[in-house]
Formats: sequence, C-alpha cells, structure tokens
Amino acid sequence: MKTLNIEHVHKSYGEVHAVNDLTLSVHEGQVFGLLGPNGAGKTTTIRMIMDIIKPDQGNIEILGATHSDKVRDLIGYLPEERGLYKKMLVSEVIQFFAEIKGVAKKRVQQRAHGWLDRMDLLEWRSKKVEELSRGMQQKLQFICTILHEPRLIILDEPFTGLDPINTNLLKNIILDLKGGGTTIIFSTHLMEQAEKLCEGICLIDEGMSVLQGSLADIKKRFGKNRVRMHYAGEATFLHDRSLVASHDNYGNYVELSLMENVTPQRLLERALQEVTIELFQVAEPSLNEIFINVVEKGGQA
Amino acid sequence: MKVMTIVKREYLTRVKTKGFLIGTFLLPVMLIAMMLMPAFFMSRAGKSAQQKIAIIDQTGRLAEKLAQSFGDIKNDKGEQRFQVEMLTTDDDLESTKHRLNGRVNGGELNAYLIISSTIFSDNTFEMHAKNVGNFEFVQQVERTVSSIVRNLRLEESGLDSELVHRLNRWVSVTTFKIGEEGSTAQRAETSFLYSMGMGMILYMMLLLYGQFVVRAIIEDKNSRVIEVIISSVKPSQFMAGKVLGIGATGLTQFLIWIATFLLIGAYGLTMAQMFAPDMTRLPLPEISPMVLATFCIYFLTGYFFYATIGAMIGSMVNTDSEAQSYQWIMIFPIIISFFLMFLINNQPDSLLATILSFIPFFTPILMFARVLNDAAPLWQIGLSIVIMGLSLWGMIWFAGRIFRVGILMYGKKPTLPEVVRWIKYT
Repeated sequence: MKTLNIEHVHKSYGEVHAVNDLTLSVHEGQVFGLLGPNGAGKTTTIRMIMDIIKPDQGNIEILGATHSDKVRDLIGYLPEERGLYKKMLVSEVIQFFAEIKGVAKKRVQQRAHGWLDRMDLLEWRSKKVEELSRGMQQKLQFICTILHEPRLIILDEPFTGLDPINTNLLKNIILDLKGGGTTIIFSTHLMEQAEKLCEGICLIDEGMSVLQGSLADIKKRFGKNRVRMHYAGEATFLHDRSLVASHDNYGNYVELSLMENVTPQRLLERALQEVTIELFQVAEPSLNEIFINVVEKGGQA
Repeated sequence: MKVMTIVKREYLTRVKTKGFLIGTFLLPVMLIAMMLMPAFFMSRAGKSAQQKIAIIDQTGRLAEKLAQSFGDIKNDKGEQRFQVEMLTTDDDLESTKHRLNGRVNGGELNAYLIISSTIFSDNTFEMHAKNVGNFEFVQQVERTVSSIVRNLRLEESGLDSELVHRLNRWVSVTTFKIGEEGSTAQRAETSFLYSMGMGMILYMMLLLYGQFVVRAIIEDKNSRVIEVIISSVKPSQFMAGKVLGIGATGLTQFLIWIATFLLIGAYGLTMAQMFAPDMTRLPLPEISPMVLATFCIYFLTGYFFYATIGAMIGSMVNTDSEAQSYQWIMIFPIIISFFLMFLINNQPDSLLATILSFIPFFTPILMFARVLNDAAPLWQIGLSIVIMGLSLWGMIWFAGRIFRVGILMYGKKPTLPEVVRWIKYT
C-alpha cells in the first residue's frame, strides 16, 4: 500500500519554479530519503505534503486520501526550522503538541514518560524549555513529533545540530519506528545518513526529480562498472581506453570505471599480467558519488 | 477541541505573567485606596491630640462665650478638642506676646489668639502658632470665633439669633440623573467622571489587548512554532485560538474588577467606617445593568474586531519594530474614537454623534459613550450590535485570508501590493 502518492505536482513562487512536475510514491513501512542540494525544493515539497502550502497543480494523496483533518492527526512533522514555546515547561510543551494532534490527556502522560526516559530527558521534565541545550530541545521536539503515534513521520533535516551520540540514538529510534510499521520520510543533504537508513530515495535538483527508486537498485545501476584495487607495479592498463574509461589514483589505491561491455573479469586478467594484485573489489558507488555525479551532470546540461 | 487547546495554552501562560497580575490587581487596590484615603485622613485629623490655646480678649466681653464655645468642641472620641486659657490685657500686650511666644516654642502651647477690641469693626483677629498650615485647625478656630461675634451682633441689633440662623440656612442641590427606569439621585460630577472612567477602561482595554494579539502572533512566528501548529490545525483555528485565549484573559481581568467593585459596594462602607465612623455613603456611582451589559457586549465585539486586525498585522511582519509601521491600522481608529467620545459627550443625541456611533471602527467606544449618557434608544443599540456582528464576520474573513499566507512568510516585510495579492490566493 502506498502511504504517500504525489503526482505531477508544480509550485512556483513568482518567477521561481520551486517544484517542477514532481511525481513520487512512498510505500508503507518504508524509510524514504528526500535528497538534494540546498534550495532544491525539498522543504517546499514537504510543506505541500503537510498541506501548509497548496500546490499550483497536481495531486497529493496521503494514506489513500487527499488532505483532511483526519489525515493531519496521522502525520508527525519535524520542520527544518525548530521551534518550541520557550517559557513553557517541558511536560507542558509535550502536552500541548500532543493535544493539538488529538491525543487524550491521560495517554500523553504515559507515553511522554517513556520517551523522555529514552531520550535521557526525564529529569528535565519540570524545567522550562529555555533552560535546555539546543541538542536537548531538538530531542524534545522529536518527542513532540512522534508522541501521537503517527503512521507517517516527516523529518526535515533531522540530524543537523546533533552530536554523534544523539545522531545514533535518533537513527535507532527511526529504525524501531519503521519496525513498528511506521512510514518515515526524511530530507537531508547528508548522504551518509541517507545511505545508512533509506530503502527508497528521491533525488531532487532544481525542483525536479532527477533520480528515484530503491537504494539497492540505484547502486546497482551506477555501480556495475566501478572497480577499486590495490597493487604493486607499473599499471599501463589504466591508460588503455578499450578497457578503462577513467580512473582516480588515491595513492594507496585506485578507483576506476570500466568501459561499457567490459567486465571486471577481463580487467583482472589484464592486470594480473602487469602488476601484483593486493586487493580487487567490484565497488558500489557511495550515495555521495551518485549525488555529486547526478547533480553536476544536471548542472552542465 | 484543538482550538480549545490553543486557547487554554494562551490563557494559562498569560494569566501567570507578572504583568497580568499587576495590571489586574493594581486597579482595584487603587480604587479602594482612593475611597479609603480621604476617610483615613479625615479621621487622622479628628484624632489629633488636644490643642492648647490661649486667648487674649481685649474686648472684655467675649471671654466667657469663647471659653464655653471652644470647650464644647469635641473630637471623634468625644474628648475635649481645645484646652483654653483666657488671658486679660492688664499688662503690656508686647510683653504678653513675648511670654506666649516662648511658651509656644517650648511646646507648652499650640497657639494663641488676640481678639482686639476693634474686631466688631474691622472683622479680623490674630492667630499666632508654630504651625499655621493645619487648615482644619485654623478653620475651626475661625468658625468658632466668627460665630460668637456674629451672634453677639445679632443680639445687639435686637434680633433673635435662633430665628436668623433658621432663615439664613444654606440651601444645597441634589442632582437627579434621568435614565430608562426613571430618575436616580446622583451627584453630577461623579456621574460624568464615571462615564469618562468606563469609556477610558474600554479604550485602554481595546488598545492594550489588540496589541497583545499582535505581539503574541509575532512571538510565535519568531519562535518558529507556527509551522508545527499549522500542520496540526488550520490557520483559521490557530488565529481563533489566539484571539479567544487573549480575549479570555481580558475578560478575566474585567470580571475581577467587577467583583472588586461589587465587594466594595457591599462591604466598602463598613470598611471605611472603621476609619471614619461618621461616613454614611461611599463616593460610588450606581451602575445600571444596561450599562454593564452594553459594556460587556461592546468590549467583546470591539475586542474581536480589533484583535482580528491585530492578528492580521502580526502575521504580516517579523518583528515588533516592523509591526509599528502597520499598527496604525488598529491604533488610529481606537484613539480617534476616544477623542470623539469627548466631542459627543456634549451632544450625545445629535445627528453627528448618531452617525459616528454606527461606524464599526467607532461603535464600541462611541455607542457605549452614548449609552452612558442615556442618548441611545434601545433600537439603536440593537442595530449597532447587529452591524458590529456583521463587520466582525467580514473582518474575520478578510484578516483570515491575509493571515494564512502571512503566517508562513519570513524575511522581508511585505509591501501593500503583495498583501493585496495574498487576499486573492486560493
């Protein structure tokens, strides 16, 4: 079942085409990454999903329905611009945000206790929000985002401003929620995080979807011709244009892309004649490389 | 339900602030103080210690009467107010004065009077004291001596002083205010003061609470909570929650004032009498149920009208200083209606006053001012409430359209053409 279905959505601000004919769908229980450079249109897309702004054209369906009050309560949203009521107590803030999502008072308290405990904020419960550090406030806001047990969670740049320990904590929670059947969409420009968490991705650049699909498929698609090797000796084969399209020498090792229709097997046979092989690996490209590759190509075109 | 959550939060955070507590309780405290202070000071004067005075009677015929009259004056505890010592002028006046000055300086004597033999022709006598600023004391001495001299003159001219007294009695005026239910006795100046006072309270509350709304919206915008809230509730629900929450604070404040007023009405006299037993009535005006009801109605409709404008202004800007350049939209009409109130108080039932009081921006203050002056017929009050309700509805629609766009706009202050474009957005 599709949790989110976006079809041919457009949004312009005056002259600027912020989102241009975007189509994407996210399946239930998936962790989905909305990736792209700064200003690509990620936040605009998320705001349209949240019904904060309306698309100029196109259709957005969430949990099989177009936007309604009922759907609102089934979504948890952590915006890029974090904000809490600074003068309120931690427990009051949680209460407030849960209540505007329609959670009964009694249930808020039970759940809040568990989450505060897990986030290591339990002793801060009766403190004012302004007394918390930035990282703590961010964790608190995350609790506010998920306390109403949404079926779809949308996190806009959730990892910015978190230290490695809290990043890890958040990552584990995301995976736990996914295990419980929750669909999670998050936007980031940090490819490393996306690579660890996402099953599906959509890469947006200049308002358009430039790459979409499951992470495994995309890697396979981009990775079939990449080889990484360590060797000793003179490697003339690197310059053989019938075999190697390009290579990057990193000193300790070399990464190269093969010409089309050349299998890694053939390269290995040739290399064995010239050098001593210490390591030979058919490499998957990192999401980072794909990102740079696709975005830069888009920029040239 | 979600609106209630927002109302509740807004209300509770506001009621807990120091500003609210001070604003709410300062007024009643001042009101009580204003009523009790005169009573308190009056009684202080009455309680003051016995005054020792010496009288030099050069006429040779007033001594007995003076001693008796001063001796009869009692303070509020029923004790003798004056202890009088009569002196004759056998010896030289200057040396007597010198001696008495010494006694006054030594604290043995509070004052001495010199009643010269020419008092019947030049109508004056001397009082020497260390402190001649005690107005009440000086007046009492003057009154006493004066009445003795006057009575003596009457007797000498062969008239019955009792009779003259009765014929000469001072006449005082009691004013009556004509209202819907007939006329009620009321002092003219209190009536004017209190209608001005209620108009002032209405004016201040509209001005103050309208600006509270502007600031509350800007605060939420700056703390960036808006985006989460707007993803949970509709912008219109958020706006309603804010306006209602702050309005509830204002109403609470007002109800506390009313309660204080009623309490003073019920127990104030007893309280005041603890300080001043001879007090028979409090300087409190009577407030008719009509005035109270219209005050509430015009406060509520006026508040919602201006608060909606306030919410609209708050949504358009990012800082308090940016708000300044749009706030006149809200502040101007309130201030203008305040000044018009003085104008129409002179002729509250003139055509101009009637027309002005039906303009929605002015209705809350001006129509209320006319109600205070009993110049607005019931049908006009009813019609004005209907017009106010319709204008409010229109204003909510208009402001709501700007609000839902403005609330998510950060960055530079929008220009007027941009705002106009927002209204057209679907």
